[in-house]
Amino acid sequence: MDLEEIVVHLFSPPRNTSTNLTTTTGSNFKSQISNHFMFIHYNNCISTQQTFEKTDLEILHETVDNKLKAIEPSYEGIPPGILRRMGKAVRMGVGCALPALQEASQANGIIIGTANGGMEDCIRFLNQIIDYEEGMLTPGNFVQSTPNAIAAQLGLMTRNKQYNITHVHRGLAFENALLDAMMKLRELPDAIYLLAAVDEISDYNYNIDYLDGWYKKEPVKSKDLYSASTTGSLAGEGAATFIVNNREANAVACIKGIQTLHTTNENTVKQACSEFLSKHLKPGEKPDICITGENGDSRMLKYYSAVESVFDEATTIARFKHMSGEFPTASAIALWLACNLHSLPAHCIKKQGTVKHAENIIIYNHYKGSQHAFIWVQRLEKIKPGLH
Amino acid sequence: MSGILVTGVGIISAIGNSVNENRASLINKVSGISALSLFNTRYAGLRPCGEIKIETEQLKHLLNAFEKGVTRSSLLGLHAFMEAVADAGLSTRQLQHPGTALIGASTVGGMCLTDELYHDANRDDEGSAYLSSYDCASVNLYLQEKFGIGGIVNTINTACSSSANAIMYGARLLQQGYADIAIVGGTDSLAKFTINGFNALHILSPEHCAPFDRDRKGLNLGEAAAFLVLERGENIKGKKVYAQLTGYGNSNDAFHPSSLSDEGDGPYLAMLQALSVAGMEPSAISFINAHGTATENNDIVESEAMIRLFSRVPSFASTKGNTGHTLGAAAAIEAVYSILNLTHQEIYPALNFKNAIEGKGLVPVQEYQKTAVKNVMSNSFGFGGNCSSLIFSTA
Amino acid sequence: MEKEQLKQQLKQQIIQFLNLTNVKPEDIKDDQPLFGEGLGLDSIDSIELIVLLSREYGISIQDPKEGRKVLVDINTMVDYIIQHRTK
Repeated sequence: MDLEEIVVHLFSPPRNTSTNLTTTTGSNFKSQISNHFMFIHYNNCISTQQTFEKTDLEILHETVDNKLKAIEPSYEGIPPGILRRMGKAVRMGVGCALPALQEASQANGIIIGTANGGMEDCIRFLNQIIDYEEGMLTPGNFVQSTPNAIAAQLGLMTRNKQYNITHVHRGLAFENALLDAMMKLRELPDAIYLLAAVDEISDYNYNIDYLDGWYKKEPVKSKDLYSASTTGSLAGEGAATFIVNNREANAVACIKGIQTLHTTNENTVKQACSEFLSKHLKPGEKPDICITGENGDSRMLKYYSAVESVFDEATTIARFKHMSGEFPTASAIALWLACNLHSLPAHCIKKQGTVKHAENIIIYNHYKGSQHAFIWVQRLEKIKPGLH
Repeated sequence: MSGILVTGVGIISAIGNSVNENRASLINKVSGISALSLFNTRYAGLRPCGEIKIETEQLKHLLNAFEKGVTRSSLLGLHAFMEAVADAGLSTRQLQHPGTALIGASTVGGMCLTDELYHDANRDDEGSAYLSSYDCASVNLYLQEKFGIGGIVNTINTACSSSANAIMYGARLLQQGYADIAIVGGTDSLAKFTINGFNALHILSPEHCAPFDRDRKGLNLGEAAAFLVLERGENIKGKKVYAQLTGYGNSNDAFHPSSLSDEGDGPYLAMLQALSVAGMEPSAISFINAHGTATENNDIVESEAMIRLFSRVPSFASTKGNTGHTLGAAAAIEAVYSILNLTHQEIYPALNFKNAIEGKGLVPVQEYQKTAVKNVMSNSFGFGGNCSSLIFSTA
Repeated sequence: MEKEQLKQQLKQQIIQFLNLTNVKPEDIKDDQPLFGEGLGLDSIDSIELIVLLSREYGISIQDPKEGRKVLVDINTMVDYIIQHRTK
């Protein structure tokens, strides 16, 4: 897209749409949140399981030293001259999103959620500072370590001069990116956005979170994650990418609502879950599946139990952290799973519900016991629940 | 866009610990750039910085903030946050209401503790008190927890344009009804990490920076925090209003990881979009608070973009000579300065300017002026080509 | 050290330093431009190469303009190293 086209594209609608939107008053601000549906089209995932290009979730790839490392493709779309500089987070983020941007070359913006971006480059640069006593340092690591390097590299490689943003709010980085995309689509109803999330597990952030008690101290196999009664989880990483717009035709799924909250009280979480459901479901309607971020940390189980208690026997409870490991933007992997539910394998099912479709899906995730989010996804391909 | 009003402001920077102190310094051409004295780096005497001369421990006492793991970034953020919230007269109940959002920006976060991070990341010992405080989100999570902010909380990092995007995101939450009050801004403190990073790129000046000067030698880093309280017009019921946020734009230059293109498409598009959202012609802009970091690259490209967009470039200046480049806080403190331009109908001079850049010929405002100011544009451009522009207008 | 040997060593160091995974020492010709059309390096690489000269050969280049004269191709770099190395 050339400059003139961008100018035309960027600049007509916001004034009109936003005038309509500013009529909300304080008392009903919540009801406004559910009004807009965002459709997911192309979606892509690089994760610790076989999810890129060919998806196979039946074979569970196991942890090595309590870390689940991403199965990275060969990144043929990235020129070697550019690839050589990229740390893992940038590589995964760009590698995951590039095919999507080829599907939607006219994207009106690039919206990324990443808690840490290139953490490995960050600490490499830090190590240089200390090891060379602030002497002559190579700036490459520094430039690559800024979290906005992923969105920036995507803009650069696809010559996309439009909206470009990086949300870094730790466990709600992806949720804020998703909300940003939803708002953008209300402002520019004909637009199309790339929405993506990525985080890496480098030795360094593993060390920091390990010392802080967020990873298991004893070796735990992926399949045994939920039966462990100890604190901490398994470390993970990954990237997921979604092309989103307002068009239902050919969409794979629809985001119907999102709610984030900051609390350490499980009763508040439970109440928020009930309110979220009553806001989004018609009377008598029940969610088919709830995908939770249960992560094997005994201290965090209370939040998941609180949420599960809101659902009755109708709803299937599924889990995914044994596949993805724990990381701040792991909910993006859950969303990708929800979009690809035909391959949700038996090892994900915690409790089989009685509802016969796999259409209405609630994703509940939280990070480190304080940042919680509910996402309501509706699958648009009508198939039987996800038991292969 | 209509009715996004600024009802409170708070700021701490190298030129003052409050809005009033900052204004007085701007009027009196005070520079906060000096040799670093509060932390150890071999560049302390070699690369002057906009350092806030209050030690971290002293800040803790001043703010009565002794939580485990609280960092200098969080303390600066707290300082500005409290001033803004008090200024807007927000109650604890309002802060905890689900309609109150907190959107902040930071690029350094807890990495101001560069040495502690080194030891924790390399697992040298049992772990410091700061294990949960290193990331960019730590500042806003600290504020969220301390005040029990009830609504949407977010942290944005688009390098040096971060807090412009935080302000933009907050305004959009208000416009779309996701929030009734949005507390928006940014915080960054000086760190060995950023000093060495920018130094490795050879863009730190050994002298006081000289924005838009022909012989500029690079930027001075600084530290600061600022927050604004934004509310929708129909909600404010007779409260004092400083200004309105009328326009915003975000564009990517898509040229290079750490420098801007000669044509300045990113800066040009960001400014153009801000005008479009505001429904304004370029001629409506009274004054531009330029990004003006005084790097070779930024100032020439920003000049080019301004010349491209404006048939007559309006009065402009950069406040980086006063505060240094405060990275993730830059757009937030400059938003406060833009609001001061409007509320007091005055413009503040750029420091250290001598000669115009050859081939551009643009001369920033060099003396304090009382003048009619209706619409102020504030620019912020960052690494990764992330360019943003905001427009504030008289209320 | 023989000049030819130094060239080989420098090529290895450049590949390693800049992580040019797809390039072999024999792919870099002595008079091939390092920047732009040649090896395709950019401004960040030029700073990395200045750091390489400092760490490996004890050469300090402070002025970026000086750097531009040195970092033309392998020949110019090697000549400069021979004249200015301190280790």
